Amino acid sequence: MKRSRSLLFMPFVLAACGGSFPVPTERLSSAEGASRTAHELNAEGDPQAALHLKLANEQIEKAKAAMKNDDNKAADLLLQRASADAELSVQLAKGAKAKADAQSAQDRAAALRGGK
Amino acid sequence: MKTQASRFLLAASVASIVGVMGCGATVPPPELVAARTAYKKAADGPANKESPAQVHEAQLALDVAEKKWAEIPDSAEVKDLAYVAQRKAELAEATADTSLAVKQKDLSERGAQQAQVDALRSTQDQLTKTKEELEREKQRRADAEKRAAQAMADLQKIAAVKQDSRGVVITLSGGVLFKTGESKLLPAAMAQLNQVADALSGNNPDATIEVDGYTDNQGKDATNRELSQKRATSVADYIVSRGIAKDRVKAVGKGSDSPIADNTSTEGRAQNRRVEIVVGGGAAK
Repeated sequence: MKRSRSLLFMPFVLAACGGSFPVPTERLSSAEGASRTAHELNAEGDPQAALHLKLANEQIEKAKAAMKNDDNKAADLLLQRASADAELSVQLAKGAKAKADAQSAQDRAAALRGGK
Repeated sequence: MKTQASRFLLAASVASIVGVMGCGATVPPPELVAARTAYKKAADGPANKESPAQVHEAQLALDVAEKKWAEIPDSAEVKDLAYVAQRKAELAEATADTSLAVKQKDLSERGAQQAQVDALRSTQDQLTKTKEELEREKQRRADAEKRAAQAMADLQKIAAVKQDSRGVVITLSGGVLFKTGESKLLPAAMAQLNQVADALSGNNPDATIEVDGYTDNQGKDATNRELSQKRATSVADYIVSRGIAKDRVKAVGKGSDSPIADNTSTEGRAQNRRVEIVVGGGAAK
């Protein structure tokens, strides 16, 4: 009882002073890093990977804006989302390449078996 | 202490507590439902085997979201945490997909390598087979030549064999082959002709064979020519029956042409009564 009541007050306390939440600099560099990696892996070349990279970058921008307004808690959550999207984009980009390589290898093998 | 504001605040709090504790069944936000669905899909699929670490991470993220929802159901944070949890579940699936694609590629590459190895081995086997066949063919030819040489050597024991501008000339005595004035082969002649046929078959299969019949100069020219032609034909037919290709053999009646001995003596006339088998005629020696 007591615990839930104090928790009920928590959001009001936090909303009042969002500045007590630390600046999420590490999350920001991590999210930006993942976004860069996705770009280097040509995430833009695969529709799904491109979508999540776009979401990541949009959320990074929103987070930076929140940080300017000292809303570090909001920024932190946006960056968590951005990182998750960026990491997914990276993996989807890797997957697209792996699937293309697998197809090429399969085609080569079929050519060798069926051909001269 | 109990101001209007604080009384309202207390009522709101109580209502909230009742709301959370009472029914316990607040409708989860769609983001949380989506996260749960995404997790289930990942956990039930190939990610379970291929990327278990990522599935575990997704589970932890979902737990964090669920806990937040249990504590503060309507908070915006629940939606953010659920969003992250959903992405992590999708990440687990994407990781599994990549892993499977890599395995597929490896499998195909190994298959391709094996196909190349098999093709190489097959080519090598064919090469070996061809070599063996060539060896056998070489041996067969050597054996055939040996037999032919042997046959020729044997032939030279029973017939006169010489070489002149026409080719190899095997001269057979008319008296041995035929009764006087006849063109039917004597039984004894066949043994000699068998040997001749053997010698001829082993030799160059392209060489032409001309069977020339000769008589002495006694009697009418026309008669002699006719007899010599019939005799040449008898010999030619016989060696064809012994396996010599028909299109190689030609029978010619020369009558009393080209005597090889003096027709004025008995021996000379006997010698002139002959059959000559000429081998070569330009194609082979």
